[in-house]
Amino acid sequence: MVAAVLDRPSTGPGIDFSAMSTRSTLPPEELRALFEEQAVPFMDQLYAAAMRMTRNPADAGDLVQETYVKAFAAFGQFQQGTNLKAWMYRILTNTFINGYRKNQRNPYQNAIDDLEDWQLGSAESITQGRSTRSAEAEAIDHLPDSDVKDALQSIPEDFRLAVYLADVEGFAYQEIADIMKTPVGTVMSRLHRGRRLLRERLADYARDRGFTVPEPATRSKR
Amino acid sequence: MTDCGCDKAKAELEEYLHQELTEQDFRDVSEHLAGCEDCSAEHLVGITMTLKMKKACQETAPAELKAAVLAAIATRA
Repeated sequence: MVAAVLDRPSTGPGIDFSAMSTRSTLPPEELRALFEEQAVPFMDQLYAAAMRMTRNPADAGDLVQETYVKAFAAFGQFQQGTNLKAWMYRILTNTFINGYRKNQRNPYQNAIDDLEDWQLGSAESITQGRSTRSAEAEAIDHLPDSDVKDALQSIPEDFRLAVYLADVEGFAYQEIADIMKTPVGTVMSRLHRGRRLLRERLADYARDRGFTVPEPATRSKR
Repeated sequence: MTDCGCDKAKAELEEYLHQELTEQDFRDVSEHLAGCEDCSAEHLVGITMTLKMKKACQETAPAELKAAVLAAIATRA
């Protein structure tokens, strides 16, 4: 039997600050100390997300720094006891969408949610049968990290973000909806389509590396 | 269509993986997976993708970035 599900990281310390906002209670120096203590530990994760968003270390660094400056400026409004990580991701995602993404905007992106399922490929799983699925899982497991990152990079951005937030960060669908400012139904659709495209791409990489992964009967449009 | 539970399980595997099912649905899918090789193989593909992504996407922020962020905050405090 396969491990049932993935652990979802806990959302914060067990302290209940009973939803008080921070600024009213603290002088500036203590506010800064609290921000450093609570927000700075997320930097590796935010940088990793920024790397997948911007695709290069220089832009990722700029994006993270801008995110922290904005978050610190708004930290007085953060409700202690709510999910700081999700709050930081909301600022990161906003900053990315409103700034960095404009430079590399692909017109195809806007229409992606409107594509019908038949245009993206069959809703059926791409391989059929237990033994071929087991072979597929094993092949994916043997791929190097670089292939996995390339595959993730190759899927449309809104799909990639949804998949990243759900699978890498373990955010709940409602949290992803808040971060991406879309309805939960759109999150589910992006996740479903994104994971299907990713699976096809991973199967391509596996085949290129000599693993036996059957060609699917239907494929997504490229 | 069958009533062996495969249709329901396959339709809900992604929500199962992401822990988005109700307790009852979660139990139903768990029970089904325990007895169905086909669906558990499909679930194995899904969970393998997730674990590979988690591992591949690990990064450590450069030390210069950490220093720059702390400096930027200090000037604004």
